[in-house]
Amino acid sequence: MIEVEHLTKRYGAHTAVDDISFTVEDGCIYGLLGPNGAGKSTTMNILTGYLSATAGTVKVAGYDITEEPLEAKKAIGYLPEQPPLYPEMTVQEYLLFVAELKGVKHKKDRAAMVETAMGRTGLQPMQNRLIRNLSKGYRQRVGIAAAFLGEPKVIILDEPTVGLDPAQVIEIRGLIRDLGRTHTVILSSHILSEVQTVCDRVLIISAGKLAAQGTPEELASQLAARGTLSATAKGSREEILAAAEQVEGLTDLHITAEKGGKVSFTAVCEGGSDLRGELSLALAKAGCPVLSLSADSMSLEDVFLQLTESNDQKEVTDHAGDPQA
Amino acid sequence: MLAILKRETKSYFTGMIGYVVVAVFLAVLGLYFTNQNLMFASSDFGGVLYTCTILLLFLLPALSMRSFAEERRAKTDQLLLTSPVSIPGIVLGKFLAQMAVFCVPLLAAAVMPLILTAFGRVNLVGAYASLLGFVLLGAACISIGTFLSSLTENQIIAYLATFGVLLVCYLMNGIRSMFTSGSLLAFLVFTAVLLIAAILVGVTCKSLVAGAGTFFAGVAALFVLFTVRPAWLLSAFNAVLSALALFDPFTNIVSGMFSLTAMLYYLSVTALFLFLTGQTLERRRWN
Repeated sequence: MIEVEHLTKRYGAHTAVDDISFTVEDGCIYGLLGPNGAGKSTTMNILTGYLSATAGTVKVAGYDITEEPLEAKKAIGYLPEQPPLYPEMTVQEYLLFVAELKGVKHKKDRAAMVETAMGRTGLQPMQNRLIRNLSKGYRQRVGIAAAFLGEPKVIILDEPTVGLDPAQVIEIRGLIRDLGRTHTVILSSHILSEVQTVCDRVLIISAGKLAAQGTPEELASQLAARGTLSATAKGSREEILAAAEQVEGLTDLHITAEKGGKVSFTAVCEGGSDLRGELSLALAKAGCPVLSLSADSMSLEDVFLQLTESNDQKEVTDHAGDPQA
Repeated sequence: MLAILKRETKSYFTGMIGYVVVAVFLAVLGLYFTNQNLMFASSDFGGVLYTCTILLLFLLPALSMRSFAEERRAKTDQLLLTSPVSIPGIVLGKFLAQMAVFCVPLLAAAVMPLILTAFGRVNLVGAYASLLGFVLLGAACISIGTFLSSLTENQIIAYLATFGVLLVCYLMNGIRSMFTSGSLLAFLVFTAVLLIAAILVGVTCKSLVAGAGTFFAGVAALFVLFTVRPAWLLSAFNAVLSALALFDPFTNIVSGMFSLTAMLYYLSVTALFLFLTGQTLERRRWN
């Protein structure tokens, strides 16, 4: 649906987007995740043809966005960070205008389309209000309704839930999931839980580079490989530490609690191996019964922090097609 | 394009600007029509329009100031530029909406010469030729204003810049008479213009060499011209100045010299500035 190849955008000496390549497939909800200023909005602005890339190509539904902009733009509905609303128009007027702008020819079609869009976004009670008088949440809904007018194949939403109250956030997320059934959706966010709950696939962008991509679970398991173990065993501190240190590949031992002859500790498995078996054997040999032992998989949050904090020198990793990683 | 045209025209009349512009125009037009045509019993309708040209300086920038500046400030340009509408379509839609508002008071003006026929013989051809000239003059002013509005996101700056440019054009006849003698002055002015052009070249190419090269090559050429054929320089200078006298051809039309050249002049000024507006929008995507 969307093919992005070696996309680069420079503002003078500052590189906002640095050699990003990815493909967006039909019928999924994609999340573009990254800290503020990572280049999410710039990427989206280039995908929609609002900005031009310094280098690289973007193809939407097979059309190059710079060479056949009208065809490509027809396939896209875009909600920018700040919804592009005209305050002096009513909700209905505005949506009718957008429908006409998107090239919906017949007046009847436009009216029907706007009616459905308002129904889906719950805007009907507000249809004759001036946009000027709407609350932030309703403005956002008008923006989303406008984005899917004209039956685009892809809907691109830039931080659709920023500035909304929690109830509205839940509502908008529901709406996005609903849209995801009929459209390909790309949304950007810096809120992890949002991406984790809404999106099928995640692209993590950091400092203008694509740091990782995959499903939320893949990304989490990718770093869980370098996982931590947490265990509780009966015995004295010295016995347990001595036993654990004998397990090869187990490092970073930390005692987290010590109480009534029970010791809890965490350790890191090097090289991605699962050392639970070895650890329990070693502890048993030392005469320390294991009370609990578990491997902690990382949440998307940990993945995100690891990737975005130490990204400067890191190679771009692609784990989309490699679930073993 | 049609969608933008409709929305823009409507938006001028949901706010105050459209009504104010139309009202002021009608008031002044009516005043001069009553005064010159009805009370002094003159059949010269062109003269009324001629008196009204000064109004264009104040009123048309008020229409054009918001066209692109406001879109950019409110970031609604993101909607237009990501919709399946071409940039010429956007520019043309906006321009035609302003023309539509501008033409509302002129509908009244179109009736005025007919009223005069009730009192005697009226040169209708002259009157309507003047009206056509007036519309084209307005179109040129609006396109200049639209272009300047596309350069900024502040409506007030757009208004003042447009007013300033139109004022200079309006006064160009007087300014030109200051430069009738002395090709040294022409040389200096051309050099200054060249310096600005060279700086622009240098900035766009991001190379000092290109800028300096343009400047020195240009100055050398100018200097040769200045020493060998000073009269050429002066006449070229005068030609440039008279091309900037936007209101002059209209004066000629009013005084009975209807010419295709004048019409073409206005049409090309309009086309040029609309083209430049499109280029500005296009260019902004690359910055």
